[in-house]
This record gives sequence, C-alpha cells and structure tokens, in this order.
Amino acid sequence: MAAVRKRVSPSRWLAYGIVALGGVIMLAPFWFMFVFATHTNTEILSVPPPLWFGSAFLDNVRLLIEKLPFFWRNLGLSFFIAFSVTVLNLFFCSLAGYAFAMYHFKFRESLFAVIMATMMLPAFIFMIPTVLIMSAIGWMNEAKALIVPGACGAFGIFMMRQFIGTAIPKELVEAARIDGCSEFGIFWRIVLPLVTPALGSLGLITFIGAWNNFAGPLVIMRDMDMFTVPLALRALQGTGQVPWGAISAGSAIAVLPLMVLFVIASRRLIEGLTSGAVKG
Amino acid sequence: MATLHLRNIEKTYESGPQVIKGINLDVADGEFMVFVGPSGCGKSTLLRMIAGLEDITGGDLLIDGKRANDVQPSERGIAMVFQSYALYPHMSVGENMGFALKLAGKPKAEVDVAVGRAAEILQITHLLDRKPKALSGGQRQRVAIGRAIVRKPKVFLFDEPLSNLDAALRVQMRIELSKLHEELGTTMIYVTHDQVEAMTLGTRIAVFNHGVIEQVGRPLDLYQEPANQFVGGFLGSPKMNFIQCAVTERRADSIALKVGCASGFELPRSVAADAGSALTLGVRPEHLELTRAGDGIAARVDLLEHLGDSTIVYAAIDGADQIVTIKTQGGRTALRAGEAIGLRPQAGACHLFRPDGRAIAAQA
Ligand SMILES: Nc1ncnc2c1ncn2[C@@H]1O[C@H](COP(=O)(O)OP(=O)(O)O)[C@@H](O)[C@H]1O
Ligand SMILES: [Mg+2]
Repeated sequence: MAAVRKRVSPSRWLAYGIVALGGVIMLAPFWFMFVFATHTNTEILSVPPPLWFGSAFLDNVRLLIEKLPFFWRNLGLSFFIAFSVTVLNLFFCSLAGYAFAMYHFKFRESLFAVIMATMMLPAFIFMIPTVLIMSAIGWMNEAKALIVPGACGAFGIFMMRQFIGTAIPKELVEAARIDGCSEFGIFWRIVLPLVTPALGSLGLITFIGAWNNFAGPLVIMRDMDMFTVPLALRALQGTGQVPWGAISAGSAIAVLPLMVLFVIASRRLIEGLTSGAVKG
Repeated sequence: MATLHLRNIEKTYESGPQVIKGINLDVADGEFMVFVGPSGCGKSTLLRMIAGLEDITGGDLLIDGKRANDVQPSERGIAMVFQSYALYPHMSVGENMGFALKLAGKPKAEVDVAVGRAAEILQITHLLDRKPKALSGGQRQRVAIGRAIVRKPKVFLFDEPLSNLDAALRVQMRIELSKLHEELGTTMIYVTHDQVEAMTLGTRIAVFNHGVIEQVGRPLDLYQEPANQFVGGFLGSPKMNFIQCAVTERRADSIALKVGCASGFELPRSVAADAGSALTLGVRPEHLELTRAGDGIAARVDLLEHLGDSTIVYAAIDGADQIVTIKTQGGRTALRAGEAIGLRPQAGACHLFRPDGRAIAAQA
C-alpha cells in the first residue's frame, strides 16, 4: 500500500512549535556552557556572544587550575562522596523498603508516614541542625559529614517499598524461608537480584543529587581542598573579574560524568520508573 | 516419614475475626490428606500454619510427636508447593531445585545428584538450564514439585497446586501426583477447593467450612455417608438435591414423608424423627429415578441438558417452589420440557437432615 501522506493540521504545528521552543530554552544553557568553555572572557562578553566553539579551551582549563589549585582533588572528592552516598542509599533504602513492603510490625504505617513527611521539608531546614551536630561531633570539614547523613533517604525508601511490594510476590519470600534462607539471605539472594531495575533508577537519581549538592558542602566544608566541584566553581565568582570561560570549562568537566552515566543508565532508569513487575 | 497431630489449633488475625476455630486432626504416616472446602474457609491458613508461615495463636501442632509451634519453617521437615509456583525468577531450574540443599551447605556434587534424580522422576531433565520464564505453566508446576522433592521432606504441603493449569493438564498432573505419592510414600497434605481433586487424590478428606472441619474420612465414606448437609452438598457433581419435607407418620420400620403440598412417599427405614417434624431429604441426582406421572413425587420437566453419555434433567416439584436435578444414563430420552413426571428416590441412597443440618442416622 502506498504511504498515505497525512496533512499536519495547524494546531499540531503550533504544538510542535511550543515543544521546540521549550527544548531550545532547556538546552541553550548546556550549549552555551560548552561553547563558552572554549572562549576567552573577552569573546564571551562581546556582543553578540559566540554561538560556536572557539579554541581557548586549554587556556580556560589552565586558568581554572591556576585559580583553583585543588580542582582535580575537588573533582575526586565529589566523585567519592557521590559514589559512597549512592552505594549506601541503594543498600539502606532497599533494606528499609523491603521491611516496609514485606514485614508486618507494630506502627509500620505510622513510621512510614513519618519518614514520608521528611520529604516535605525543604532542605534548608536541615542546614543549621546539621552544622550544630557536625561541629559537636567534630566532623566539620570532613567528607563523612556529607556521606553519613545522606546514606538513606525518604524518597529511596518510598521508591523501593513500592517496587518491592509490586515486583516480589510474598510467596517467593515464603518459599525461600522454607528453603532455609535466613531473613537477610532472603533480602540478599532473592529480593536484591529481582529489583535491579529499581536499583539502577535510584542509583542514578541519588548520584546526580549528591553530585550536584551545593547547600550541604557549603555549610560543612571550610577549606578549599575539601570543596566539592559545585562549591569550588562558585568560589571563582568571589573576587575581581569573573572568569566565565574557566567557570564554563569547569562546569563542562563536572557535567560530563553525569552525562556519560545517564546515557549508560537511561534505559534502565525508564524501565525502573515505569514498570513495577518482574514477571516470573 | 512423619505423622502430624493438630490439637485445638486456632488462628485469630490481629484486627480480624477468628479464621481457624479449633481444629483437631491426626494425619497418619504416608497418608494423602486433602483439605477441601469453599474459598475463604481457612484451608490455606491452616496449611500455612503447619508450614510455619503463620503463627499459631492457639493449640498445638505436633510433627512426629514433637511440638512444632515455634520451630522455624526450614526446620520442620516440610516442603511446600505454592499455587503460583513461586519459582525464583533469576535462577535456572536446576538452581531453583537445588537451592535448599545449597543453603544447607551440601557439597555441589551431592546437590547435583539429588536435583538430577528429582528431575528424572518428573521428566524435566532437559529443562534444568532454563530460567522459569522460559517454561510453560505445566513445566513450572513440575519444577515447583521437583524443588519440594529434592529436599526429601517428611511432609509435602500443596496449596491448590493445579488451579493455574488448564483442564486437560490438571487431569494429567492429578494422575501424576497420585503416582508420585505412591512412589515416594511420603505424608502429603493437599489443599483444594475442587471436590473432584479431593475425591480422586485423597486417602482421606477433611471438609472445611468457616474455619472448622465438618467431617473427616475416606472419600467414598464421605460421599455415601455425609455427616451433615454441608458435606453432602459439597461433594459430588451435580450437587446433591435437598428437598424440604415433613414427616407425616412414623412406623416401626419406615417413615412416611410429604413433599410439597401434594406428593408423599415412604422411606423403608426406621428413623428417629417424630411425626410432624420438618426435615430435609438429601438425594443425589443419580439416585433419583424417573417414573411415570402419578408414581412417586409429582414433578414437571423444566430443562434438559444432554451430556452425551448421560442427561441432566431439571424438574420442578409440584406444589413446592423447588427445582431438583436428576442424572439419567443414556444420551437420548423421550422427555420434553413441561412434561409431567414422577420421581422416586432410591431408598438406600436417601439422607435425612435435621433443620440444623446434621444427618439423621438410620437406626439398625
Ligand atoms: N493476613 C490476613 N489478615 C486477616 N485475615 C486474613 C489474612 N489472610 C487470610 N485472611 C482471612 O482468612 C480467611 C481464610 O483465608 P484462606 O485460608 O486463604 O482461605 P482458603 O484458602 O480456604 O480459600 C479469609 O476469610 C481471609 O479473608
Ligand atoms: Mg487458599
């Protein structure tokens, strides 16, 4: 059968236009970040600004390192913190989610409601108490002050409870119990392998959140060598002329790991968010 | 090999009604015991209590004479086959079957031998490397049974294991389960809501209703001598007819009954029921004989169902607002809907029930 040419109606063109505009607005900052990373400050501040790549990238990186002598260390620290927070979150959130999904215990629902309520609180509320606690126990200016409080989150618990509740039939757990699995063994050998899609999604979300975390390091970290990348880049804006080219280069370097991670994990992410069932 | 004793077993869920109301039952070594009853009567709950998956809130469970109320499920020497099969989706068939032995720390060679032997019994050797999702329903069912066999349990527990299979496969698996029981000789407890499965599989049947056992016994005994109206109605298909009747006269060796406002007939049995009392006559469809109009209980044909080898006749009793079912042998009959007929219950196959449902025993 010959292909039927469908006429696209004007209202549809309008819809396409709106979506395209939205796309440009969302992507423009990314584009300019990468473009500016390759231009000198004078070029960036000229009118009109450059729209295509220049040749000053290495100069910008040199300037960045000059202004931020610990930049590579900052990058490494960011990675270490984000990675630790992610691994701990995957473990503790799935453990808690499993308990909420599969066990019956007193005050289960009220406890769950309390945990969910913490999601409603804005992050700023935690800033002052966190500082007070961390200075009291002497953890200020240390990575563990960011890792330990971030090791388990309400959203992760919620997500894992939902996923485990729908993906793991109760009888599977019972069969394992009869087979002689310990309670932790059931979690480790039966439940975890079956919730990997959800773990992938949660891992990605957590890693991105921890990587981009600004408020946490801002109140905890005092010395330049303990800054995470967002904090270090912000420090460039402090004095004198703002080196936009260097900031863009630094941001581009910081964003790259996330983009790579996202490309690798995006299929998993979408699977995990949409499908609850592991049919077996 | 194991015996099982249930002493006043009770189950009350938190914030719920009592689901199991004092069960007493002895299961002999090597017996195939079937729990049968309508959906929601507590069969699964009791089975899960035996397995250790539900707490026992009252009474004692003895496995091999030892109190097992507080023993871990894995240490009770039981294996369970679930209705949904509950195979581990991320493990191969072989891994599924060997999981329990592996957890128990058995060497790999020993596990492989045990899995291989069970797979042979169930003819699933060629499937050992597959994942459960690559199996058909019947094959999954076999794997689930295989997983139970590998553990060499003292007691097998089955919770409606065939109800997810299509009719033909169900019949086949039923036969294989019977053979398996013969071969292994292990004590088995089998839960079903299907009375055909109960009748064909059970050494003995326990009929459940609302959390109590209505009657326990061998299938044919229950069929022929139901202790109450519930058991009579539950076993047998088509269902036993229950006809309201009144005792008109009691003699030394027989009683006269009146059905509806018109017909009466005589039951040549001595029965402890006074004249004037209202009873329920229970008679199975195959024990109602069709006779000429004017003979026996007067009725009118309502509907005919031809099954080929037999015919099911639905008839309305004159003067009573009641339809009875009659099963006649032979595929062809001259009967027509609306035709007047007479019904004669076979004397030896009649049951009388009191208003509270209990059967009235015939006095010798
Ligand atoms: N976890 C539970 N909490 C409260 N009531 C339950 C629970 N599980 C089962 N029941 C109730 O127990 C009764 C018996 O259930 P079940 O043993 O599954 O019946 P059956 O297997 O005979 O169909 C049902 O009325 C059911 O609603
Ligand atoms: Mg059930």
